[in-house]
Amino acid sequence: MPEVSPTPPGTLGSKILRRGRRTVLGMDPQKLIKNFFGANSSIAIIVLVLIMVFLLREGAGFLSTYHHELETYRKAGLEFCDIADTPLKQQQTMASSLRRALSIEMEPLVKTARERRDAAFLFKRAHDEQNSDGTATFDASPLFTPEEKNQLKAELAALAPESTDLPATLQKLAGEFATKDREAKTKFKTIIEAEETFEEAAEPVAEILDELKTHATETKEAANEFHTLEAGRQQLLAAAASASGSEKADLLKEAELSKVEEPKYAERVETLLEKREDLVKALGDYVTAVEEAAKSLQSSSTHPEAAQLIASVEKAIPTHLADIQKASKDLAAWKWDEPVSFFRAVSSFAFGTGWITNSSWQDFYGVLPLLTGSLLISFVALFIATPISVTAAIYTNQFASEREKELIKPVIEFIQAIPSVVLGFIGIAVVGDLIKGFSQWEFLSWIPGFPIQERLNIFNAGFLLAFMAVPTMFSLSEDALNNVPRAYSEASDALGATKLQTVFRVIVPAAISGILSAILLGLGRVIGETMVVLLVAGNRIAIPDFSDGLGAIFQPAHTLTGIIAQELGEVSRGSSHWQALFMVGILLFVISLSVNWCARTIAKRFEHPKA
Amino acid sequence: MNNPFAGDNSSIQRRETLARWLLRLGSYVVVALTVSIFLFITVKGLPHALKPGFLTELTSTLHVIESNDGQVFKTNPVEADVIKKQLGDNFRSEKTISYSGGGILGPIVGTALLVIVSVTVALFLGVCCAIYLSEYAKKGKFLETVRLAILNLAGVPSVVFGLFGLGAFVLTAPVLTDAPADRAIFVIPLFFTNLSFQGWDTCVLSGGFTLAFVILPVIITASEQCLQAVPQGFRETSMALGATRWQTIWRSVLPFATPGILTSTILGIARAAGETAPIMFTAALAFKDKLPWQKDLPPLPADAGMFAHWEQSVQRFLGVFTESVQALPYHIYTLAAKIPQNEYSEQAQYGSVFVFLILVASLAATSIWLRIHLRKKYKW
Repeated sequence: MPEVSPTPPGTLGSKILRRGRRTVLGMDPQKLIKNFFGANSSIAIIVLVLIMVFLLREGAGFLSTYHHELETYRKAGLEFCDIADTPLKQQQTMASSLRRALSIEMEPLVKTARERRDAAFLFKRAHDEQNSDGTATFDASPLFTPEEKNQLKAELAALAPESTDLPATLQKLAGEFATKDREAKTKFKTIIEAEETFEEAAEPVAEILDELKTHATETKEAANEFHTLEAGRQQLLAAAASASGSEKADLLKEAELSKVEEPKYAERVETLLEKREDLVKALGDYVTAVEEAAKSLQSSSTHPEAAQLIASVEKAIPTHLADIQKASKDLAAWKWDEPVSFFRAVSSFAFGTGWITNSSWQDFYGVLPLLTGSLLISFVALFIATPISVTAAIYTNQFASEREKELIKPVIEFIQAIPSVVLGFIGIAVVGDLIKGFSQWEFLSWIPGFPIQERLNIFNAGFLLAFMAVPTMFSLSEDALNNVPRAYSEASDALGATKLQTVFRVIVPAAISGILSAILLGLGRVIGETMVVLLVAGNRIAIPDFSDGLGAIFQPAHTLTGIIAQELGEVSRGSSHWQALFMVGILLFVISLSVNWCARTIAKRFEHPKA
Repeated sequence: MNNPFAGDNSSIQRRETLARWLLRLGSYVVVALTVSIFLFITVKGLPHALKPGFLTELTSTLHVIESNDGQVFKTNPVEADVIKKQLGDNFRSEKTISYSGGGILGPIVGTALLVIVSVTVALFLGVCCAIYLSEYAKKGKFLETVRLAILNLAGVPSVVFGLFGLGAFVLTAPVLTDAPADRAIFVIPLFFTNLSFQGWDTCVLSGGFTLAFVILPVIITASEQCLQAVPQGFRETSMALGATRWQTIWRSVLPFATPGILTSTILGIARAAGETAPIMFTAALAFKDKLPWQKDLPPLPADAGMFAHWEQSVQRFLGVFTESVQALPYHIYTLAAKIPQNEYSEQAQYGSVFVFLILVASLAATSIWLRIHLRKKYKW
């Protein structure tokens, strides 16, 4: 565009012209207008900077707050209790799988007797309430011979209405069950005993720990109260410094009044340390007892599922014991006044495996489970969306007739307008049930994780997000294909290549950088999506269990975006939880910026010469 | 006569056809999915959306009363008491389902207000930015930075915009007030009042401004494309006749770009109406039993002058923007995730989803249709 050259200065004519112009701040109207628009154009930069500023303002205090909280956690001795408590939690899951194995083993032996007893008692109740449905169920029951049925009916009829005695048949049935149960228990005596020893072994440790925990919680509460009051006092002092006269004196007096003693950590921790030897000893006893129990566990079991459960426990025991022994060592080495390094707060946020809030014990803000959830969902979404949208782009750009283009393009563009909350709703109402229904089909059972337990899971969210990502990836890939110089395809055609060869050996490779950056931008869109994952991902804050391989994608998870949307409304401003959520926001912001940066770099790197 | 160009049905050609069909299948899977989602929502939601009062009543709690002789009454809280009295001993049970009764007038009005504010703000900022980029800017560092910023802004997750809106508009934005709140960051005293940076609280204004920045990149990019599409010759002709740069833009560029800009604005409206995360903490409310303008203001004295009446009308009008509202997407979220699910809440859900989808979809469809239409009309 040619620039309008300014009137040359100095001539008389120009001076006259200039007199007619008004200037503001040394700028004539044209310049003013230009600068106005120029200022407006920097709005995008300003907004980006402002986003960062406000996120930092609310979230920047997080690391120091969290560091402080972790310090109290150590000083008050909560950490001391957790050293022993964390490995003990494994014991509970192990005990529960042992119990389950046991019930699986015993089930075939006692099943008939128990069902017969229960059915008879149900019938008695139906008879008492004169419920005809109950009688019908009993009549149809295959568990009893006709003679037995008639006998029970006769006995019930003969029974006095208010009598609390049990009819003879019922007593007999109850007796039968008891005998069977006893038989089963004798048969699996070793497992039962092992299970009992296993459970009892932890009891002395738990007893000591409970006592210590109460004590530590008290210290922590005192410390928190002290910090609140102290913060208030500092504010009063600050106000006093800027006030004057009698007001100042009042404020100072008030500050003096609200002064409290900091809890004496050393004294309070002493109580914990006194028990240290007991605790270590109890842990030692626990180790011996568990080893004992593990030996008797090795008896072969008959049922495959039970055997699997028992085997998994057996496999877990050595690591568990190693953990316990490590815990004993840590307990012995633990010092309450060892300073908590600032790095610990950072790593506890970035690599912490627990996001635990509103707990009466201690809050932890570990972002790892959320990050894993977000990434898993995004990868599932990309895995589904990439082939579909790239295929659609290739087809629309290279093969489709004009008429088809007029159908496909608007429809795919239209997807962009479907609000995410509507898709989330569809995920809850339809897709969840569909996936669960599919997973129960016999011939699909080879897929890991099938049949699935939860309707709302990673796969469901990923599927819907894939749908959302299609328009972005489709239109950007199509642009990339469109930008391939015509000469390329013409040259290929001239060499006698078929259409398919031209497309897949010439055009797609030439556009690959654009397609890759389209995929990356799709990833950016997917990772930042909120409503779908909030509604559909299942919202369980835990790192998915990868022991099942790919089956992990059928477990529920929580995400970075979801946690903000879910929890921010309920926390008070300025608390560590609030700050933590803003830190998650900062993390998301940084992720989205870097994904964008990568996409641009890739697109630039492989740019082909403009023809 | 044989067609010399006919296929010879060789293996190569069969492979070509197969591949072509596979590619076609990939494209039509997406189309089929979209259409089936749309049909599904229509079939499930249309009957509920057509119920009398669904579009014209405010949201309320649904009371379901069963009588002993098997009658079922679905009513609002006020009538529920009357019916219970009438039934007397015949009354068997009552269930209450939050947010599922009445209609969705409140959410519709709220969404409309949010959209009006956000589009006004975004259109002004976006078009100004686009004019600079297309008409004034010269290649250089500044232009590159601006373009990079726009790209990055488009990639920022919507929930981060929500956090930004909370920090910036709800908690920090400046207000004129006589009594600044304690939480204000700083207060600039003016002669008759104070400019206090204490935030606008959760209200339409906060939500609208937040949404404006969400759709800003869309508007900028689309407007710039429309401006660029106006042929260079128009500008040169105007300049050659001695018009200034601004006259050129105002008289011979903008008139031709405006239809396109407005068309793409409709797409921006659809986007703004559909976003949930940015308004969650800045404007939306799960339940409200009044429309934004039904506000209790102190009654005017009988002898109040024109000015007092006028002042109150203005106050009422401004009050609309300084209150939090229900919004359709947030309403759907509440219905789907925050209350126990049963058949009655399901009806309210499908009804609202249908209305919402129709609103947004018709906006998007209009925009797409208009664009195709315009493209045919303006061919230079």
